[in-house]
Amino acid sequence: MQRDDAGLTPIPPSPSHDPPAAGALLALRGVTKRFGGATALDGVDFELMPGEIHGLLGENGAGKSTLMKILSGFQAPDEGEMTLRGEQVRFSSPAEAKARGIGMVYQELSTIGALSVAENVFLGDQPTTRGGIINWKRMNAAADAQLRELGVQVDVTSRLSALPLGLQQMVEIARVVFSGADVVILDEPTSALSVRESERLFTSMRELRARGTSLIFISHFLEDVLAVADRVTILKNARKVATLPAAGLTKQRLIEMMIGRDASTLAASYQEGVTLPPPVEAPPVLEIEGLSIPGAVRDASLTVRAGEIVGLFGFLGSGMTEIARALFGQLQPHAGVIRLDGRPVQIHSSTQAKRLGIAYLSENRRATLFPRQEIYKNMTLAHLDRLVPPLFRKRSELGIAEQMVKRTGVRPPNPHLLAGYLSGGNQQKVVLGRWLTRQPKLLILNEPTRGMDVGAKREVLDLIKGLKAEGVAVLLLSAEPETVMTEADRILVMSKGRVTKEFAGERVSKDLLMAHA
Amino acid sequence: MAKDMPQGVGAGAAGTATARPRASGWARILGWAGQRARLIAPLVTLLGLVVFFSLTTDSFFTTRNLWNGILSQYAVVAVAAAGTTFVLLCAEIDLSIAAVSLLIGVLSAYFWITPVFGIDFGTWGVLIGLIAAALIGYANGFFAAYIRIPSFMMTLAMSTIALGLAVWVTQGKPIFKVPGLLRTLGGTGSKIGPVPVPVIVAAVVLLVADIVLSYTKFGRYVYMTGGNREAAEMSGVNTRRVVALCLMISGLTAGMAGMLNVGKLNGANPQPSNELLIFTIASVVLGGTSLFGGEGGIKNTLIGVLIFGCLRNGLNQVEGISIYIKQAVEGFFLVGALLLNVVALRLERIRTQAE
Ligand SMILES: Nc1ncnc2c1ncn2[C@@H]1O[C@H](COP(=O)(O)OP(=O)(O)OP(=O)(O)O)[C@@H](O)[C@H]1O
Ligand SMILES: [Mg+2]
Repeated sequence: MQRDDAGLTPIPPSPSHDPPAAGALLALRGVTKRFGGATALDGVDFELMPGEIHGLLGENGAGKSTLMKILSGFQAPDEGEMTLRGEQVRFSSPAEAKARGIGMVYQELSTIGALSVAENVFLGDQPTTRGGIINWKRMNAAADAQLRELGVQVDVTSRLSALPLGLQQMVEIARVVFSGADVVILDEPTSALSVRESERLFTSMRELRARGTSLIFISHFLEDVLAVADRVTILKNARKVATLPAAGLTKQRLIEMMIGRDASTLAASYQEGVTLPPPVEAPPVLEIEGLSIPGAVRDASLTVRAGEIVGLFGFLGSGMTEIARALFGQLQPHAGVIRLDGRPVQIHSSTQAKRLGIAYLSENRRATLFPRQEIYKNMTLAHLDRLVPPLFRKRSELGIAEQMVKRTGVRPPNPHLLAGYLSGGNQQKVVLGRWLTRQPKLLILNEPTRGMDVGAKREVLDLIKGLKAEGVAVLLLSAEPETVMTEADRILVMSKGRVTKEFAGERVSKDLLMAHA
Repeated sequence: MAKDMPQGVGAGAAGTATARPRASGWARILGWAGQRARLIAPLVTLLGLVVFFSLTTDSFFTTRNLWNGILSQYAVVAVAAAGTTFVLLCAEIDLSIAAVSLLIGVLSAYFWITPVFGIDFGTWGVLIGLIAAALIGYANGFFAAYIRIPSFMMTLAMSTIALGLAVWVTQGKPIFKVPGLLRTLGGTGSKIGPVPVPVIVAAVVLLVADIVLSYTKFGRYVYMTGGNREAAEMSGVNTRRVVALCLMISGLTAGMAGMLNVGKLNGANPQPSNELLIFTIASVVLGGTSLFGGEGGIKNTLIGVLIFGCLRNGLNQVEGISIYIKQAVEGFFLVGALLLNVVALRLERIRTQAE
């Protein structure tokens, strides 16, 4: 790796506070936010112009979500001021910000699983009849229309929790995007979406911009940000690095500003494709034959060998998550055989799956994280057996957690912190670490790098490669072509419940993958 | 691969050295803050009550009153509350505590005086009572966890069943003969040195419960199941078994409480009363254990029982409060204590909802 110092512009240590540019719709001046002794934001300036899409970038924990929560009234700044259309404002609640036309899609879903899709789209302001009763007919019709505009076709009367995660995310987006807000904040809206839904979302974002709405878009997919944003702001370690027009910026330049050093290896784009390595010669650990799950998977077969990473690529509704859930005892297949080390097994529960040596990381962080428990408890849960008998030793538990915090790069690296206080990407590192405290036989990872920044993604993929070297069979599920292309030995593409294509020992590219999905 | 993170996480010894102490300093405080507020707020309430009643009455802060008036009187509640803590920690509820304790108390006396199937159980009736208590608790747990009847409804129904059985077994008549063992364990008069035996029993039960919750795998599973049931399930925890066992433990401790009560009163009266249920749940919640699961513990429960005991005992001794208003005053104090818990948690907890 070569350092290219000449290519780096020195970053001013502390940005000077210029007067707000004329015409800014929303401006923040010198905003500081502390949590305990930690500074999440340190004198940050931010400006949003009318009718622009403003990208917000930075490493995990840089302060992006915190800045946006201040804009949307969810958190109050310790210092600094905010002006909206030239008038100084201070929001004490999200409702207040909403009343002033600011709507936000939070990083973690804030929808309610027990309510219907339509109720979630209109959460908080359902259309009512004159008597104040909810007008179901109108609400359902409007929700249906809005979701269709985002390219989603679902029964709006069904329970939200019955939908796959990506669709739940679209419902959340629809709620804010069509609320008529002048400022729409999207905090990593595409981290649970596959390419198709993302593209639909970008189209809707551009349409909104054309109508004069301003949007803020946070994402770790730098190409997406470059494609849709007019300007970008980069945060690093709680400070603002720069605000620049997107035109003329490159992915590499963005990464340099985000992490503050040369990053040519991280900027590699897989557009041209990669050549898969020669097939692994090892006994199969997992064999699936003719697996069918009603409404999700039809006649799927696949094999994962010891020391092999098999990538499973597909979009929403491809059925790959259902295969993973069946392997972890969460769904009962209708037909087909699952063999583990050559022996047929029927998996009825997660406990049994764990005993068989299967580890599964779900794609849904809500279903994996314990926000009100400490990081160390989050990390040691899957393999507590190692700490007993007869009674726990706190020291050895903390030792294991500390090691794992280090390996996954959680920041801040303090195992006593409640997991809910971590930034989104760092929460993901915690839930990933849970399954790495002991070597499983078969490791199933569903979107393991969700919400991680480019550097962290790279590190996690390297970590997975390390496990492979130790002989673990890895099944890697992702709707993100890069994730499967970087490390997989073989790649299977799924579409509408079927395995449509297998790539082995040959050249694959993003386009090729997508063509089969 | 080593990405040289400026604040030094994986790589860079120098970075680690500088970033680490600072990070753990603030973060440790933050991390423990929520939990500490949960313990400190009720502790402040308890101290406040003790000081208040010591100043306003002459009789409150005396060795006699502390041992016999409070500790001994509320030992029964403490035993039941130990089991209830498990249930609340995994985000369920047990409304059958009072009825189960009544039934088991009655049964242990009944076995003492009446041979069943020609067998005279004698003191072994106590053991049978305990087994019955665990079975009833497990039945609650089985239907709540595996059949998915909400524990609220299931235990309410069980409460009715247990009451009915207690009345049926005794034909509605009190039993005045009680196994000697129970009189020793539960009787207010029985002491080792200055320490009433029921207090020792309660201390042992609380200690065992604390060890199970803090130092065993099962205990951790209880917290995690209450913290996020789905996530626990997805980590390979058999959450249904955890819930079923928690309700079983609650049944068992309710039964123990019932027996101690029989020993204390030197008789078993099948008189339905929900006093124990209300005392128990109020104590656990006063101590700071969350009704929504995952947070709290036996230390909280101990403090909660003491708050409740001091409050009721102390108010009785304050002169000039009409007995007609006493109950309302007690209620106001309860609201005040709960308010303090809530406010303390608010202060400590930075809103983390959406993230
Ligand atoms: N409620 C909180 N309590 C304590 N610390 C917090 C809280 N919220 C955020 N932090 C800390 O503030 C810092 C910034 O977090 P923030 O969520 O804004 O990061 P981010 O840029 O959105 O990262 P990511 O890309 O991972 O989502 C992190 O170090 C985080 O641990
Ligand atoms: Mg974030």
